[in-house]
Amino acid sequence: MRARDVDKEQLVKQKAIEGIVKHGLEGFSMNKLAKECKISVATLYIYYKDRDDLIIKITEEEGVKMAETILGDFDIEASFEDGLRMQWKNRFKYMMDNPYITVFFEQIRSSSYHASFLKSFKENFEAPVTEFMNNVVARGEIRKMPLEVYWSIAFAPLYALIRFHNEGQSVGGVPFKISDEILWETFDLVVKALKNVG
Amino acid sequence: MENFDHILLLKTDCRTIADKQVLQCLLSQQPGIEEWNLDLDDCDCVLRIITYTIKNTQIINLLNQSGYHCCELV
Repeated sequence: MRARDVDKEQLVKQKAIEGIVKHGLEGFSMNKLAKECKISVATLYIYYKDRDDLIIKITEEEGVKMAETILGDFDIEASFEDGLRMQWKNRFKYMMDNPYITVFFEQIRSSSYHASFLKSFKENFEAPVTEFMNNVVARGEIRKMPLEVYWSIAFAPLYALIRFHNEGQSVGGVPFKISDEILWETFDLVVKALKNVG
Repeated sequence: MENFDHILLLKTDCRTIADKQVLQCLLSQQPGIEEWNLDLDDCDCVLRIITYTIKNTQIINLLNQSGYHCCELV
């Protein structure tokens, strides 16, 4: 009889994410993962049906974890600026604490596992983010706009900065390291772009 | 301690979709198999079977009779 080892399961997930980020989805296999974790291939197949099952489960679990961290103390009734500031703070912290996750999700999004990513996003993020946007629109803090337009202005600048930081360089290969000053200066411009005047 | 004895894991030489279809015919006739899948993405072509009544050796014999090689995955 085999014992379920929670630490080992955690190690498997961590190494799988690292492996996919380093070698891409194409270069990722159950055998390589087992070697990385110093466990037998059989142990992996106890927990996961196959490679697809492992990638899908990790995507879904990480989606839940990310949502818990990012939305944990998020108040959908907050004012536009306060609510968005909290979102930026939480997303920034999560991505800095989990550097591999951002790249992992990007790879998943541009692969055949896209549907799992979307399912996870819809289940965990769509409702609170949409509700917050509807609330601030109803109070006249920002004008009504499609969710995609809102998201592109509200969050895409943050993700661009984090990508520059992770890659160590910005446009044209200029060395780049993010700072609080740059982060919040960008945030202020985002608020200015979205918030109604007066 | 959790019991995983109902999960049979076999390393096989079933490498193609056609091999998987042969397995489909063989295993669908076998009572006691709750669920099975074959991982064609991995070099061990792992056959994973959920069963509470069948032993590894029975599956190994079944596949051998159809010309496939397989052994317990360790």
